[in-house]
Amino acid sequence: MASIKGSRRRGIALHAVLVIGLLLSAFPFYWAVIMSTHTSTEIFSYPPKLLPGTHFLENVRHLLDNIDFFGSMFNSLLVATSVTFLVLFFDSLAAFVFAKFRFPGRRLLFALMMAIFMVPAQLAAIPQFVIMAKLGWIGSMTALIVPAAANAFGIFWMRQYMRSAIHDELLDASRLDGASFMRQYWHVALPVVRPGLAFLGIFTFMGQWNDYAWPLIALTNPDNVTLQVALSQLNGTHGTTDYGMVMTGALLALVPLLIVFAIGARQIIGDLAKGAVRG
Amino acid sequence: MAVIEQTPPAVAQPTPTRPKTGFRTYWHLYAAISPFYLLFLSFGLIPVGFSLYLSFHRWDGLGSMEWAGLSQYQYLISDSDFWQSIGNTIVIWALATFPMIFLAMVTAVMLNSAVRFKNVYRFAYFLPNVTSIVAVAIVFGSIFSTNFGLMNALLQAVGLDQVAWLNTPWGIKVAIATLMTWQWTGYNAIIFLAGLQTIPSDLYEAARIDGAGPVQTFFRVTLPLLRPTLLFVLVVSTVTGLQSFAEPQVLLQTTANESTFSGGPDHAGRTMVLYFFQQTFDNNDFGYGAAVAWGIFLVVVIFSIINWRLVQRRGEE
Amino acid sequence: MRLSRRGLLRAGLAGTAATALGGLATGCAVPTGSTGRNMVLWYWSGGLSDTVVENAKARYDSSVTLKAQQIGGYYRSKLITTMAGRAHIPDIAGLKGEDMASYLPNADQFVDLRTLGADRLKSQYLSWKWDQAIADDGSMIGFPIDCGPLAHYYQPAVFEKAGLAYEPDDVSREMGTWEAFFAAGERLRKRIPGTCLLVDVLAVYENSVNQGTQRYVDKDDHFIGDQEHIRTAWDRAVEAKRRGLISDIVNGTPDFNAATERGLLPSQLGASWAAGDLKLGLPKTAGKWRVAAMPGGPANNGGSFLSVTKACREPERAFEIITWMLNPANQAQGFVDAGLFPSTPASYEMKKLREPDPFFGGQITMDVFGPAAEQIPVAYNSPYDVALGQPIKDEMKNVGVLGKNPDKAWSDAMSKCRRIADHLGVTY
Repeated sequence: MASIKGSRRRGIALHAVLVIGLLLSAFPFYWAVIMSTHTSTEIFSYPPKLLPGTHFLENVRHLLDNIDFFGSMFNSLLVATSVTFLVLFFDSLAAFVFAKFRFPGRRLLFALMMAIFMVPAQLAAIPQFVIMAKLGWIGSMTALIVPAAANAFGIFWMRQYMRSAIHDELLDASRLDGASFMRQYWHVALPVVRPGLAFLGIFTFMGQWNDYAWPLIALTNPDNVTLQVALSQLNGTHGTTDYGMVMTGALLALVPLLIVFAIGARQIIGDLAKGAVRG
Repeated sequence: MAVIEQTPPAVAQPTPTRPKTGFRTYWHLYAAISPFYLLFLSFGLIPVGFSLYLSFHRWDGLGSMEWAGLSQYQYLISDSDFWQSIGNTIVIWALATFPMIFLAMVTAVMLNSAVRFKNVYRFAYFLPNVTSIVAVAIVFGSIFSTNFGLMNALLQAVGLDQVAWLNTPWGIKVAIATLMTWQWTGYNAIIFLAGLQTIPSDLYEAARIDGAGPVQTFFRVTLPLLRPTLLFVLVVSTVTGLQSFAEPQVLLQTTANESTFSGGPDHAGRTMVLYFFQQTFDNNDFGYGAAVAWGIFLVVVIFSIINWRLVQRRGEE
Repeated sequence: MRLSRRGLLRAGLAGTAATALGGLATGCAVPTGSTGRNMVLWYWSGGLSDTVVENAKARYDSSVTLKAQQIGGYYRSKLITTMAGRAHIPDIAGLKGEDMASYLPNADQFVDLRTLGADRLKSQYLSWKWDQAIADDGSMIGFPIDCGPLAHYYQPAVFEKAGLAYEPDDVSREMGTWEAFFAAGERLRKRIPGTCLLVDVLAVYENSVNQGTQRYVDKDDHFIGDQEHIRTAWDRAVEAKRRGLISDIVNGTPDFNAATERGLLPSQLGASWAAGDLKLGLPKTAGKWRVAAMPGGPANNGGSFLSVTKACREPERAFEIITWMLNPANQAQGFVDAGLFPSTPASYEMKKLREPDPFFGGQITMDVFGPAAEQIPVAYNSPYDVALGQPIKDEMKNVGVLGKNPDKAWSDAMSKCRRIADHLGVTY
């Protein structure tokens, strides 16, 4: 009896601590909600407000007056979705080759790819900027989409996935049926690696949505930026920073991301953990 | 994401291709992997080569390039600002990483023993990691604001003095580290949890029969078996930590006439990457910026070697 | 999560095709500037009068669509990066006065305004202002917008409460020197705890430097930032810090705005255009301000230019627009709207400039700015001033904010300047 009671008490204590952690994780989101529903004057008063206010719509209106919120959100969506699809296609195709075929130079090419993985992005940033200036891509979304269209991480990830998920007998059988390389990729490989693709897709989408450093430099046309860049412009353009408005923008920018995350949460949390442990 | 490749791909696999040779046989395979290599060539290899070339020149991005020999590197070595930025980066990384790993591990152990609501917790703990850093930095900026921030309101409520968080060197570092800890604790807790779940339960059973308490069990059983996961977490947080940029940039963005990459008072929040951006795009010193980028590369390489050494030594044990 | 393979392929191919085509299309004809009948104008918040911009849009509507864009963030860096990026370069670009020297070496990025007939307008503008936009090869890259005579903005109600002079004439007289100003600050702090005379040490340091006729680098590319004129400004700022006149608030933050609104920073030293910032950023303080003469004498800070970039397809039209926007009548309007002090002396006598300003409690601020503008000391601005002034300002901030030992800070600043000078090819 006593031990059951003891373990229950321990269970309650455990959950109490876990709930505190959960509240700490969630608190900044709540804080953003509070700030986005108050005017700046209310925000800059003491003691700080702890409950939501009533000025959300007013802040939204200010936000829409100050930046092209929907335009930049459209740009973010455009970049994130096109990059995601390009990455899924190119990476899985390359991964299929590395996972299931032998050809001269395979090991060298693979090692080269892993080496690229280690090069910090800013090493290439200046020349990339110069090259894109020559191509006339600076200021347009092309500057963001093209260089991100295939990446070493995705190929590595999909290759690991395909090595175990695609059985060689299946490939052999389809080859005996006379299937071409693309048919094998399309009809044999892809159907069995959907969960791996889903993870890569969500991961890529979120990464692109949140990308900031390169867009900040490459998107020189102030009328045509992504959401993250627009938000940072909003924060501290001049001494008149309207915190309620900035916070409203920050909050609204999270919405599409939270939707994608909610859809793929199980997948991404599970796969990420599995991948890490396997690595 | 850095994933350590441990098994070389050479481990013999049944090879489904017929033993033919020549490019003609394999052209479709090369074609299939070509997009990555083409992109890499145009936006990776050529730029990296060009940036090496650039680092031996003086160039403002507009006029003509001037040969500068090794002078950019000579300046880099004696550039106290660059050394300071390395120090800032490492201090912020350490302030963020060690508490984060500790908290993440504690959380994971608790999650592992809690049976109910596990998925709810996992979802909520992961949430900070999916949010955009710009939005989060804006929120944290207001939490750490001197006169109207929540942090100082809390301090005042318990009778302590206000702290000018974003106006003192250590306050800046603490604020940035707090932001990073918040963002990565849950993520790493979930990775630790997955590691914990690979530990066979009969090991715990055996430890219990031997009369080991929970603390002993943790240090004798859990921690040694969790070591590979711990190393993974360390590697990932080193790679991301050394490249921190958006957190200090947005958090410390001041107004109007100042560089947006300055990193606050005494440049206490100016990380290596921030310094690179400042030299390159604020001062339009593309040549020196390239040299700084190579300096950063060197630091990353050194840290990677340290990490690799750690992995090796663990392997030998 | 379900992914249809056909959908994936279609989207992937469409995306690839689109980007490839986009790349080709733009690769053939690189658009460096604006397109269509657009004429893009870049400036910053408060850099031009809204009324004048709107009038210019309407006036030239038949020939061009004037697209005026306010650029946030660090303006100079954005403009130069855009020029280096060779795309979306504005046709007309505002250039801030303090950045002018760093644009001059890149004069070839701008249209030489003399080739468009600028010289015939020269007599209408302040000559020192005009000369600031002339590059070494004689080409003229910027057309004067405003100049920035410094003044002392203050809240009379707070001054009165502290027992200080509070009428503009009295303040000008009784706080005319730095020493008298500091003494008043000590009294202010004693009478009303929590108030500070100065927001940061730079308010003293930078304005003192501006009051001189020399800056950091002379015409022969020789570093002079270690000399008497800089050292005096430095010591003065250190003294203000020692006497407890400096707040711990960061200029331009919400904390700063809130403190100003609450009267905790009742005195601010700024150029004429700072009036525009006050009106824009602190509309609730309307009527609570007055303007007096700058302690320590007149000086200029900022004041900007409009330039025509090489990307502009219709330089003549652009020149016509900027000269119209910056004619004496419109400059007078700029003063009314945004505190942009005219660089055209003909404006000074206009009725618009002699009207009581309700934001300043009905004061005729021209009475303060006018005399100040006439006595502005002219200093040589070197393209290296920014790079070599920065370490000194940084160390100044360390003294102000972190309480660093001033002697240590000064020697740190000097050794850093020496290294940078060496790197830039400036003699020491």
